[in-house]
Amino acid sequence: MKKVSCIFIVDDDPITVFGIKKMLKSVTNCDDVQIFQNGKEAFDALLERHESNKTIPDVIFLDINMPIMDGWDFLDELIALDLKEHIIINMITSSIDPLDHQKWSNFKDKCPYILNFKNKPIFKIEATDLGSMDMAS
Amino acid sequence: MKAVERVDQFYLLKQLPKATALLCKKGVLLDASSSWLDIFGLPPQNPDHQTMVFQLYPNASDLKKRLKENKPFTLGHKVTKNNGTCHYKSYFAPWFDEKENVIGTIIQTDDVTSEVEKEQQTAWLQHILETKVEVSKTGWWEFEIATKQLTWCKETKRIHQVPDCFEPTTMEAIEFFKPGYSQNKVSMLFHKAIENHQSYDTNLIIITFNGEERWVRVTGKPHIENGSTTKIFGTIRDIHDEVMAENKVKEHQQLLSTLVDSLPLNVYVKDLESRKVLINKGESHYINKSKEEIIGKNDFDIYNEDTAKISREEDIQVMKHLTPIIGKETAITHNGKTTHFLTSKIPYFDLDGKVCGLIGMSLDISSIKKKECELRDLIKITSMQNQKLIGFAHIVSHNLRSHSANFSMLLEFLKSESDPKERERIVQMLSQASDNLLETLGNLNQVVDVNTKTSVTKKQLFLKHNIVKVLQNFSAFLDKNDSHVINQVAEDIKVDCVPAYLESIVLNLISNAVKYRSPDRKPLIIINAVKSKEGVLLSISDNGLGIDLEKYGDKIFGMYKTFHNREDSKGFGLYLVKNQIEAMGGSITVQSEVDKGTTFNVYFNEES
Repeated sequence: MKKVSCIFIVDDDPITVFGIKKMLKSVTNCDDVQIFQNGKEAFDALLERHESNKTIPDVIFLDINMPIMDGWDFLDELIALDLKEHIIINMITSSIDPLDHQKWSNFKDKCPYILNFKNKPIFKIEATDLGSMDMAS
Repeated sequence: MKAVERVDQFYLLKQLPKATALLCKKGVLLDASSSWLDIFGLPPQNPDHQTMVFQLYPNASDLKKRLKENKPFTLGHKVTKNNGTCHYKSYFAPWFDEKENVIGTIIQTDDVTSEVEKEQQTAWLQHILETKVEVSKTGWWEFEIATKQLTWCKETKRIHQVPDCFEPTTMEAIEFFKPGYSQNKVSMLFHKAIENHQSYDTNLIIITFNGEERWVRVTGKPHIENGSTTKIFGTIRDIHDEVMAENKVKEHQQLLSTLVDSLPLNVYVKDLESRKVLINKGESHYINKSKEEIIGKNDFDIYNEDTAKISREEDIQVMKHLTPIIGKETAITHNGKTTHFLTSKIPYFDLDGKVCGLIGMSLDISSIKKKECELRDLIKITSMQNQKLIGFAHIVSHNLRSHSANFSMLLEFLKSESDPKERERIVQMLSQASDNLLETLGNLNQVVDVNTKTSVTKKQLFLKHNIVKVLQNFSAFLDKNDSHVINQVAEDIKVDCVPAYLESIVLNLISNAVKYRSPDRKPLIIINAVKSKEGVLLSISDNGLGIDLEKYGDKIFGMYKTFHNREDSKGFGLYLVKNQIEAMGGSITVQSEVDKGTTFNVYFNEES
């Protein structure tokens, strides 16, 4: 079992959230899993944690299409925050639009964190999605 | 002979009123009347001063011989004196004595100067006439009423191609004219000239002696004496070549004007001052004035100042630099209507090769231009629809995919899940996913309906009445939210619209205005409509939350785009509204300020 201290799930689809939570159970026993309906809620929470020196999430599951603030806008804000901590961001989307993939590729280059792209459906969360140990591979 | 007798005798001679002289047989002048002596400028004769008659007639070399013949004869001669030349006629007659013996010659001399001068004048006039006939090729003829004698001059005969010896009768002369019109006409004119003293001058056809048909110009003028015609004098001139040449020119002109008039072009010829000197039917029709009204006018008289200025500059370029303008696209506004032309202007040279104006040709290409525009519009619409289709395909794939992905994931869980409680939860989730899919499919179907049912019948609907209907059905919701709606739409404004779409549009926009109300204010919705040339503009304003258009402007009408955290926000209403409006040829725009309110402007296009 991989030990992860804090995980953020940012998705407005309850079924996907349910799925991610369920899959997480089998790979980690994280006590601090937070659910957000959109990017804004997630970012506000993150900012609050950062400012009050609380634990920053190690892993973020991020949907792209969300109201108010979508996944891309969230990423912009996050990059602008320039956090020193390591974060693994898993973008989870049902989109198979090549444009979305291209956008991810562009973000990956400028993002100081690990940025994964995962197409739905997902059936299993790999250990690599939660830790940086396989970064070199 | 006795001297006295002699003197008496000769004294008598001297006094004779007619110039008379007596010669001896040898030709010596015995004596003469004073008048005779005067003619030759001789002194009175006496034995000391004798004159030989021969020296008085220097031109009659055979005079001596003729005198010896003892027969009377006459001789014309002239005497030149200081005051000019006088012409005389001398009568020579033998002089007999009582016994009928010839003893000499008697001469009587008449002054015929005036007769000779008259003859000369007549000859000169004759010469002039002949020259005139020769040069003008105009023959003359003369008809004597009393004798019914018709006379043709040489030229007249030549025109008729008859020999010089031909002497026509009146009948023959008339029969030379071509049977039918020409013959009838000339008979009638000839008759009228005699009876009514009418002159005539007309062009007719004759058939010559050689059978050639030729145009002639004939004139006739009656000569009246004591109130009745005594003579007809007339002329005849062969004008065949002229008539033929004229006809040829007329034929050419006819051909040219038919050609120019029938061309599907506006053709005009301008002089150096850009005044129109010739136009065809097309040009006259375009300017909407008769040819007579246009000829002599320049472009400033016809078109507005700007158009005329451009045209004049073109004209100058063509006429000054002799560079033709070929197929230039121009747009001319005349009588409030703009016409597109393909205009050509080429310099026009006179017979000496000097530029004297220009020839202009304009082809009306408005319909081609219009088709071009329509085509461009069609391409625009097509590419827009294509874009929409791509967007829609994307939405379909994305939204349907997200549901199918959920199914896959949940089913995968179900396969490996043994806990009955957890299985039940997964099944619940599956049914939720199924409901979501159905709803999405329902939404997509609505959008497809809007975009494909191009045949949906639009009706003229009273805008206010339809809005009121929606508000009534909606009154419970509005009351619950404490909303106030001000409907300022005028009673008489009509829109061309699909009834169901109008209801959907109003419903969605009003429910949005209430849904996204500000927590600090009671919802206030103002509905207004303005009618203009382009159509009707319906605006629905609220005092709600507003939206940051700089951030979300391009997404507000997108499918499944929501911007406020509300349970009942699906991100479908505005997407549907936009599709419905665009399907009817209209458009929708939005203005908004965060925490102030939002205004949606719906344009109902009148044309489509």
